[in-house]
Amino acid sequence: MSAQMIRRLILKDWYFMRWAIAAYLALGAIALLLVATGGEGSFYAGCVLLFTVLISLGIHLAMATVVQERSDQTLPFVMSLPISPRDYTTAKILANMLIFLIPWLALVFGTLAVIGGRTAIEDGLIPFAAIILTWILVSYCLLLAVALVSESQSWAIGAMVVGNLAFQGVLYGVSHIPSIARTMKGDTIVWTPAAVTLIVAEGASVALLLALTFFFQNRKTDFI
Amino acid sequence: MSDLAVHFEGVSKKYPHFTLDDIHLELPTGSIMGFIGANGAGKSTTLRILMGLVHQDRGAVEVLGHSMPADQARAKLDLGYVSEDMRLYKAATLRWHMEFVRSIYPAWDETYAASLVRCFDVKPEQRIRGMSHGQRVKAALLLVLARKPRLLVLDEPTTGLDPVARHEVLGALMEVLADERRTVLFSSQNTLDVEQISDQITFIDRGRIIDSSDKESLLDRWRRVRLDFPAGVVLPTLDGVITRSTSGRLTVLTANRFTPAMTAACVAAGANVRAIETMSLEEIFVANVQQRREREAA
Repeated sequence: MSAQMIRRLILKDWYFMRWAIAAYLALGAIALLLVATGGEGSFYAGCVLLFTVLISLGIHLAMATVVQERSDQTLPFVMSLPISPRDYTTAKILANMLIFLIPWLALVFGTLAVIGGRTAIEDGLIPFAAIILTWILVSYCLLLAVALVSESQSWAIGAMVVGNLAFQGVLYGVSHIPSIARTMKGDTIVWTPAAVTLIVAEGASVALLLALTFFFQNRKTDFI
Repeated sequence: MSDLAVHFEGVSKKYPHFTLDDIHLELPTGSIMGFIGANGAGKSTTLRILMGLVHQDRGAVEVLGHSMPADQARAKLDLGYVSEDMRLYKAATLRWHMEFVRSIYPAWDETYAASLVRCFDVKPEQRIRGMSHGQRVKAALLLVLARKPRLLVLDEPTTGLDPVARHEVLGALMEVLADERRTVLFSSQNTLDVEQISDQITFIDRGRIIDSSDKESLLDRWRRVRLDFPAGVVLPTLDGVITRSTSGRLTVLTANRFTPAMTAACVAAGANVRAIETMSLEEIFVANVQQRREREAA
């Protein structure tokens, strides 16, 4: 029953978010089109739109599927179904990760393909782009963790602010790491030790944030 | 198998400004318990603990043979819960909710659901967003009733309903209650609603259960006795009298364990019995709460 219920809850969130996912995918496609065609201005506009789409998707998802469930008072309805709090947490994390990862992966691979395929854009940019786009995933996991554990709009907004400020810092900081700065404007893709370390650290951060979410959710004693 | 649908044993839950204290509660299978308390008395907390939505700090809770909150997922297969603060998804239609609930509960009865749609006068194709409060409550009840739970837990479902909607909801509940195997725990501030449908009554105040018994014996043992006392007559000490007020020659006694011997003792002391009045559930509740609070304050 548990796996079946988790599946139903995931499908429920997917159902409510289906139009939003389609809209973000469409906007992401426009961003990729801008990156893939036109001059320098179009490239930067496409990059800004792409980051905005991914960040907005994460915010929209966490707010709509987690925070709103409490503020709209639909949480008692969900929790009255034959599920345990652990089932609820699992369903929320899986639904959110699934819904976020589908557009995220599509846009990440699309971006990397555009950079790799377009001669006007240096291939050396790929590790940098991968680090930045993975950071957006980390930032989303932070927001999801805070939203799930706190179920509070204020805390979620705080996590968004931290995530967005950190994004600017990561953008600046990574581009100023000497080994990455040296290779990102070259014609070849160079996975420097710094770039690999950063990607691995980001992956570990995602795993840690999700594990911490389960840990704190398991300690909760009130669910509505 | 236990013949208790619900069993609370020494259950406590502490919050910064409220404590649910040492709750002992037994609800036999097939009975309908009205759970009465003022705002903030602990009704919702008790029912949330019953549902596993809030975990008790101390004590044991068993619901339909399942230990709560540990075994809540299995217990909730046979539990129907509607609370005043529960909402459905605004963006979805009632039909979507019906399909969703039907996909989860094998006991969902489509024919019964259709009859409830007609009885409650709700439109399955309507989005929840466009429904009135009364329609939303009816929709939530429909989703619970059509899956025929063994235990129905209703936390102030009639709060905020207009008289017509309240009447319809209570009517539907009374129909459901005709099924003797079904157990219902119904919390409300409205004693009239509770009096109509319950066969067991529990009063809760300031986080403590102050009385719990079957409705008939509760109504039977509470009486208001109006006495005429000629000057110089002294009222004897009577067991079971919780309040006594005097105005001139008239004395009014409120008894929570009334027996005919009580009036006989008054008559023997020289008093004239003007009236022995039954009390409504609301009067009993208020007298009970006031007595407890005065005793605590003393």
